[in-house]
Amino acid sequence: MTSETVRVTSGTGIANRIPAVVPRYLPLLLLALGWEALTRTGLVPTSALPPLDTVARAWYELASSGDLWTNGVASMTRGAAGLGLAIAGGSLIGILMAWYKPVRAAVNPIVQFFYPMPKSALIPVMVLWLGFGDASKVVLIFVGCLLPVTLAAFNGARGTDEVLIWSARSLGASRARVLWEIVLPSALPEMLSGIRTALALSFVLLVSSELIVARQGFGYMIGWLGDGGAYDAMFAVVLTVALLGFAADRLYLMLVRRILAWRE
Amino acid sequence: MSEIETRFLAPPAATGIRLDLTGAVTRRAGAIVPLLAVIVAWEAASRSGIVTPFLLPPISAVLGRVWEDAISGELALNLGQTLFRSLAGFAIAGAGGVALGILMARRRWVRWFFDPIVSVGFPMPKIAFLPIFMLWLGLYDVSKISMAVFNAIFPVITATIAAAEGVDRPLLWSARSLGASERQLLREIILPAALPQILTGLQVALPISMIVMIVTEMMMGGQGLGGAMIAASRFADSPGVFAGIVEIAVAGLCLVKGIALLRGRLLAWHQETQEPTTV
Amino acid sequence: MPDAAHIVIDRVSHEYRPARRRPVLALDDVSLAVGEREFLALLGPSGCGKSTLLYLVGGFLPVEQGAIRVEGRAVDGPGPDRGIVFQHFALFPWKTVMQNVLYGLEKKGLPREERLRVAREFIELVGLAGFEDSYPAQLSGGMKQRAAIARTLAIDPSILLMDEPFGALDAQTRSLMQAELLRIWQRSRKTVIFVTHDVQEAVFLAERIAVMSARPGHIKEIVEARFDRANPELLRSRQFVEMVDHVWNLVRGEAILAERSGAA
Ligand SMILES: Nc1ncnc2c1ncn2[C@@H]1O[C@H](COP(=O)(O)OP(=O)(O)OP(=O)(O)O)[C@@H](O)[C@H]1O
Ligand SMILES: [Mg+2]
Repeated sequence: MTSETVRVTSGTGIANRIPAVVPRYLPLLLLALGWEALTRTGLVPTSALPPLDTVARAWYELASSGDLWTNGVASMTRGAAGLGLAIAGGSLIGILMAWYKPVRAAVNPIVQFFYPMPKSALIPVMVLWLGFGDASKVVLIFVGCLLPVTLAAFNGARGTDEVLIWSARSLGASRARVLWEIVLPSALPEMLSGIRTALALSFVLLVSSELIVARQGFGYMIGWLGDGGAYDAMFAVVLTVALLGFAADRLYLMLVRRILAWRE
Repeated sequence: MSEIETRFLAPPAATGIRLDLTGAVTRRAGAIVPLLAVIVAWEAASRSGIVTPFLLPPISAVLGRVWEDAISGELALNLGQTLFRSLAGFAIAGAGGVALGILMARRRWVRWFFDPIVSVGFPMPKIAFLPIFMLWLGLYDVSKISMAVFNAIFPVITATIAAAEGVDRPLLWSARSLGASERQLLREIILPAALPQILTGLQVALPISMIVMIVTEMMMGGQGLGGAMIAASRFADSPGVFAGIVEIAVAGLCLVKGIALLRGRLLAWHQETQEPTTV
Repeated sequence: MPDAAHIVIDRVSHEYRPARRRPVLALDDVSLAVGEREFLALLGPSGCGKSTLLYLVGGFLPVEQGAIRVEGRAVDGPGPDRGIVFQHFALFPWKTVMQNVLYGLEKKGLPREERLRVAREFIELVGLAGFEDSYPAQLSGGMKQRAAIARTLAIDPSILLMDEPFGALDAQTRSLMQAELLRIWQRSRKTVIFVTHDVQEAVFLAERIAVMSARPGHIKEIVEARFDRANPELLRSRQFVEMVDHVWNLVRGEAILAERSGAA
């Protein structure tokens, strides 16, 4: 009887206790070990999957030669510029769409039409227009990320509780003030989630466009390292980009939690 | 999955009073005007020589090109290839993602193993793995579709977990106490209750699958709209590039509207009608 | 005496026309004059249009049929002369209690020191001292309501529109707040329109009580209730109890009607 109760309260046996005991990220470590084991035992040829330690060594070489840094800075600058422009532009357009009927009437059909377009289709156009350099990537990311931000800002602003607007007006706020002080903060939660989508998209567009046409950047590195058969170095850069994307998202979530602290 | 992550995935609740009061009918009719204006402006800009026809070929020329492609069978071939692969990738990602998501929500071991992988994998720019996929799987459908699956599956998994976990506990308990088996529980309680959020995950996954397909086609070449567009841009064939954009834009629009329509059908009982923010 | 009236509501009807649904006639031919410095209670069954009437006086909804004049001028939009406490508080969720109360004071252009002093005074008055830095999400319903009251009282409007302002309070806080409201009213002599469901509260606070019919609302009867509120025995006095009984009977008939039409 007693043992029965104990078992019930502690769940269904060992399986339940494991997650609490084992560190959360152990499965990733297991994956890494599996990777190493596969290559060490020769089950998988090292030409297809270089051992993890050679990847680490290649990463160290790329980092100490400065290649990783210069290309990384080039990529991140492009991404930040494009995304920053998209956030500024998208927020502005979205909120104006919600606030002014004529703007909505004029812009909404265009947004709705172009929103579902797979944004990567713009890559060749950017090459036609702007060539192989920074500008084509920045504009690509800007154009690609603009609509998700716009639509999120629009939906957020349009969901503003009417009574909050009334409240501000009766406390003496002008219409313009209300837009800034009530509609914008009301739209913020949804806007921030749209920006998270845009952040992920910006990485995708950045790496894709650099893979396809570029003379600098992470994607370009991945491309020429792979073409040259330096797979350990290629894996090193791929993992770097992936981890950067992950880190950017985590940092962003931390920032969001800060900004939206009032929702707790 | 952290709480904020799942919150972000949930479709925005349709609370608050909408400021948008125009009727649906007038909106439909009025929607044509701005789009026509864009078309006219495009045509005028390139005809008047403000921009060279190389940078922006007149839309009439672009549509002419689309027509030629349609007649010659190119359009059907390329569009068909692209759609087939992206929909295949989407379907596999959808089925696999829902299955894995449910398993993760219901089985602790599965959850324990996949949780860190999913939460690290979800925000990663997985497109960077493209050359690795090319290395392993070659340049044909298998590798292209795998790439689409790899990219599109994560939002489905996270949405499914959040949805399955969000199912009302007392509902599960009462079904269980009425004698429902695990399988009945799944089919009759969990899946229907989780459906709205799962569909949201699928709505996010579909455009991802298309975006990734276009990129892989551009990288690997061969048939498909991505390959056709990148070839056109190499030959400085700008009507070809723009024709590709028009074709893919219309296809994307149809697919996204189609899945939204499906959602409306499936969720006729469900309150919210707002569409999720996707890429 | 229509000349002395501060607020004149003249044959006002209001119809809501929600998108894709049938229009709702909320108010039907309502006429009412509220004298300068008068305390008027508005009583009526749920859904009879009390909030709607306040929104019209507040200038949040357009007056489409009939006319509303405040100090002889037709109402045209919200203004800080008419402070309103909304039924659902309408606090700005991203602002702390202090920031909420300061909002209207900033719009009035008071100097910083003065703003802080006034805000503290009213936060203390409603018993929220110590919660200045809490966000609305961290407050209970009753606390939110008190914060909303402080925010409105702080800007010292000449007209107070209160929509069930004590609805979310426990009995004890409620009677404290009632006394406080009476004190403020007697000291600053504002014109008050006070919506409530609570007959005893209406009789205790108001000089006149307008009883509204079930939807579509119109004024069914106006009852005078002038008592000496300084009398500590008032609540037990025979006149008071009789008055409560009288008003209660009026309201009850309408509530039954409202229920029937709701069920039909
Ligand atoms: N935005 C709206 N759209 C459509 N109908 C509305 C709207 N607001 C209110 N109504 C309807 O108008 C009628 C009056 O509403 P109102 O909120 O003024 O009632 P009330 O007397 O304040 O009720 P309560 O005592 O429950 O607060 C109700 O029947 C309600 O259903
Ligand atoms: Mg009300």
